[in-house]
Amino acid sequence: MKEHQNSRRGFLKAAAGMTAAAVVTPSLLASQNSKNGNFYGYEEKVIGLVSKIKSAGEMDFNYPDTDSPCKAVMLDGKIKAYSLLCTHKGCPIMYNATKKAFRCPCHFSEFDAELDGQMLIGQATENIPEILVRVEDDKIIAYGIDGLIYGRESNIKG
Amino acid sequence: MGFSINDKRPLPPSGAMKKNITCEFCIVGCGYTAYKWPKGTSGTDKNNALGVDFSKQQPALGVWASEQMVNTIADRDGKEYNVMVIPDQNCVVNQGQNSARGGAMAATLYSKNTFMRDRLKDPQVFGGNNLNRTTWEDSVDLSARVLKKIIDNEGPDQVAFKAFDHGGGGGGYENTWGTGKLFFKGIQTRSAAIHNRPAYNSEVHATREMGIGELNTSYYDTELSDTIFVIGANPYETQSNLFIIHWAKNLQGATLDAKKKEFYKGETAEAAKIIFVDPRVTASITNAIDLAGADNVLHLRIKPGTDVTLMNALFSYIHEKGWEAKDFVKQHTQGFKKAANTNIISLSEASKVTGVSADDIKKAAAWISKPKKSGHRPRTAIFYEKGVIWGIKNYENIASIVNVAILTQSVGRVGTGVCRLGGHQEGYVRPPTPEGMPGRENLVVVDAEAAEGNYLAWFAWGCNPFVDSIMGERLAGAFRRRSDIVKRAMSRNIGADNEAMAEAIYKACKYDGGLFFIDIDIYPTFKTQVAHVSFPAATTMEMNLTSMNGERRVRLSEKIVDAPGTAKPDCLIAADIANALKGLYEKEGNGEMAKRFDGFDWKNEEDAFNDGFAGQGAKMDSQGGPTGVLASYDLLRANGNNGVQNPITKVSNGKLVGTRRLYTDNKFGTKSGKAMFLPTPQPPMPKQVANQMKKYEFWVTSGRLNEVWQSNYHTSRLPMPSTRWPVAPVQINPKDAKDKGIESGDLVMLYNDYGSVRVVAYVTDSTRSGELFMAFGFPNSPASNIVTDFVDPSTKIPFYKGTAASIRRIGRVEDIANTMSLKSRI
Repeated sequence: MKEHQNSRRGFLKAAAGMTAAAVVTPSLLASQNSKNGNFYGYEEKVIGLVSKIKSAGEMDFNYPDTDSPCKAVMLDGKIKAYSLLCTHKGCPIMYNATKKAFRCPCHFSEFDAELDGQMLIGQATENIPEILVRVEDDKIIAYGIDGLIYGRESNIKG
Repeated sequence: MGFSINDKRPLPPSGAMKKNITCEFCIVGCGYTAYKWPKGTSGTDKNNALGVDFSKQQPALGVWASEQMVNTIADRDGKEYNVMVIPDQNCVVNQGQNSARGGAMAATLYSKNTFMRDRLKDPQVFGGNNLNRTTWEDSVDLSARVLKKIIDNEGPDQVAFKAFDHGGGGGGYENTWGTGKLFFKGIQTRSAAIHNRPAYNSEVHATREMGIGELNTSYYDTELSDTIFVIGANPYETQSNLFIIHWAKNLQGATLDAKKKEFYKGETAEAAKIIFVDPRVTASITNAIDLAGADNVLHLRIKPGTDVTLMNALFSYIHEKGWEAKDFVKQHTQGFKKAANTNIISLSEASKVTGVSADDIKKAAAWISKPKKSGHRPRTAIFYEKGVIWGIKNYENIASIVNVAILTQSVGRVGTGVCRLGGHQEGYVRPPTPEGMPGRENLVVVDAEAAEGNYLAWFAWGCNPFVDSIMGERLAGAFRRRSDIVKRAMSRNIGADNEAMAEAIYKACKYDGGLFFIDIDIYPTFKTQVAHVSFPAATTMEMNLTSMNGERRVRLSEKIVDAPGTAKPDCLIAADIANALKGLYEKEGNGEMAKRFDGFDWKNEEDAFNDGFAGQGAKMDSQGGPTGVLASYDLLRANGNNGVQNPITKVSNGKLVGTRRLYTDNKFGTKSGKAMFLPTPQPPMPKQVANQMKKYEFWVTSGRLNEVWQSNYHTSRLPMPSTRWPVAPVQINPKDAKDKGIESGDLVMLYNDYGSVRVVAYVTDSTRSGELFMAFGFPNSPASNIVTDFVDPSTKIPFYKGTAASIRRIGRVEDIANTMSLKSRI
């Protein structure tokens, strides 16, 4: 599980030589309370228990706030988690446990849960944002997000 | 890209520069709004140019900019700006929605921070061992000197060109006019080919000769159809917003109120049914089932190459049942009897040829033409595209579809139409082809001629001939060989001035079999490697550009950023070459020749628009028609992203007024004014293709992927599509894959007599056993390598969709297999 790696963003940075073109607001820089030190501004949050997701196979939660529905899924013993708001037009995407992929009922975009949320077909311009999680004992802890959640200009409000 | 994981993105402040942009990609031509403001400044969550409160989560279908919709660029003055390009909620075409392609327009802008940094920035001329950057004056002067020698000594036909003839990012009325005026009025060459095919021809000669232009309905009308009939097209992936907005509404029954308003009183109004003719199961079909229910979707899964027989069977059965539009056929058509003598076929015979059951043919005929409960004729909209255009025989394929349309009066009425779905947008306005240009049956297949050694100069203008032509591998090899002859001559003439160099180039072409190659593009490609002169072009958002979408809707897509380096609009590049030739002829006192290059004193693209689309009217071949002269940039700007549908009828209160649907008066484009039926016998399998079928195991067809545009020039540089599709996939049925020991993600080779190509295997039920489907247009794995040299003798349109090849497993490249999703797309 590449839960501590930020593979998709890593690709962008390495391949495109991306520089941060955005306006970084003081409020974000000020709230550096993430333990891992990489994802400033994100509150770490226990989103569930490994023992529970193991039996259920999937688990809904909100991150980083209550307006952002997400789902964690168990894939070959690994936990992957994603935003449930389609990056096309924000409809709630549905998980297909057989295909291990999400599908949007509005315009039929699909995202591969086994491949960091890659769009496998559809109308979005982005893959689905991945919620970065790690496991400590039985706890599943969300600590950041790779990708911009639909309907926001920053993942963290304010 | 403007976003990294910790950032808050900048928002356009109130008062940010705001422009209308028409999507540069598919024919649907969605409207977008672009904002530009200085880097380092931003609106706030609550106070910004979008008028949206971003302190709150935005609802579904709201206004939002995805990561790809924001970029940071530098203009020529060195100042940096943020640019946001988002779908326009008020555009009637897309109603605030974007496709995977158009939504990434901001990310396609030239930026030093992204893969787009490799745009061509300045002209280049070959010297030493590679292309050297140089000035416009130097590169244009050398080109003009070579061209003049060829025109004067060998005649203008020895200058061949292959160029876009369309709208959208790679074209536009300004640029088709500029290039057309250079080649047809100035140089006067008849050696011409269009960007994606080897000759200078229409893809829809048949429908035009039957009296019906190929874009005759409106997207709104498709919301009112009782039946939508789709042949050889996959609109979810290739005309996305037409499908997911206009057709989806109709298939879900969400347009009943509009139907009641537009239909006759008492006429049955129900949700639409949809019919697909396709050898594959596509995402369009499975998504239509989600929208309309399986009972309202009919998939006629024909054997490849049998479309004509299927259309003839529908024609026959509709006639047998008496479901044709009898009054219309009697009053407004001609040639029925003659066509019927050839086309009538029994259901059992047709079923044997096409592989479609007689019951399904009957069902399709009923959906298309059986009177509704109220007794009114159904309103059927018929759409076709490359599956038949690039099919077994272009002319009859199209004619057989239009036969069904005019038999059922599926044209001119509310909710009807018989149209191509289209690839790119349109944008044709050019002087007539020079005197002596052969008719469609005698056109020269110039790509093949060049491979055989004909022509001394070749322009590749905004296209990639080695990806989008017949026998791609052979063609590329021939061009490389001929280019090298010129390169050697150029290398030998160290320090030569342009006149001496031009003479050396001319001699290498004339006596040694060389080909002087001029490339005009926005990115370096394989063809840039064979070029001796390269000119950098501007594209959408870097120039003002007008185009027409699939319902003839013309918009002004405005300039918002500078083109990279000294890149120019194509029309101004054409003008530079024309003016240089004029100067050379004036210098030697040849007034007659100089005069041919008159009329290129354009300062900007608006001058080219006013000279072409808005200046010529009926005098030239123009999609604006005689009333195009009513248009101006100012009036188009006033009409905004909704533009105006050709033909323009008048200017009213400062707004252009157009035409929603054509042929409402039943006056068609033939001499008699009547629509014409044509005999359409089933074409035999072409000899070249039949030979490949004997020798190689699989039928191979090809087509498009939603995320990849044309020759993949922008999309191969964007993060999402480039990781999704690192190379072209070939779809293979699970049974065939098992037999060949192939798994999804394996690298495989397809090969036949014409060439070979390495692609990635994608195991799926989408294709049947014995049939492979390959993605078209990937320069790093071109399907054209295994396409034969067959063209329809009637139109010179190739049969890209039909070849045969064998498949062999090569191995597995984990970086490819592990980075792209291999799951089912249906």
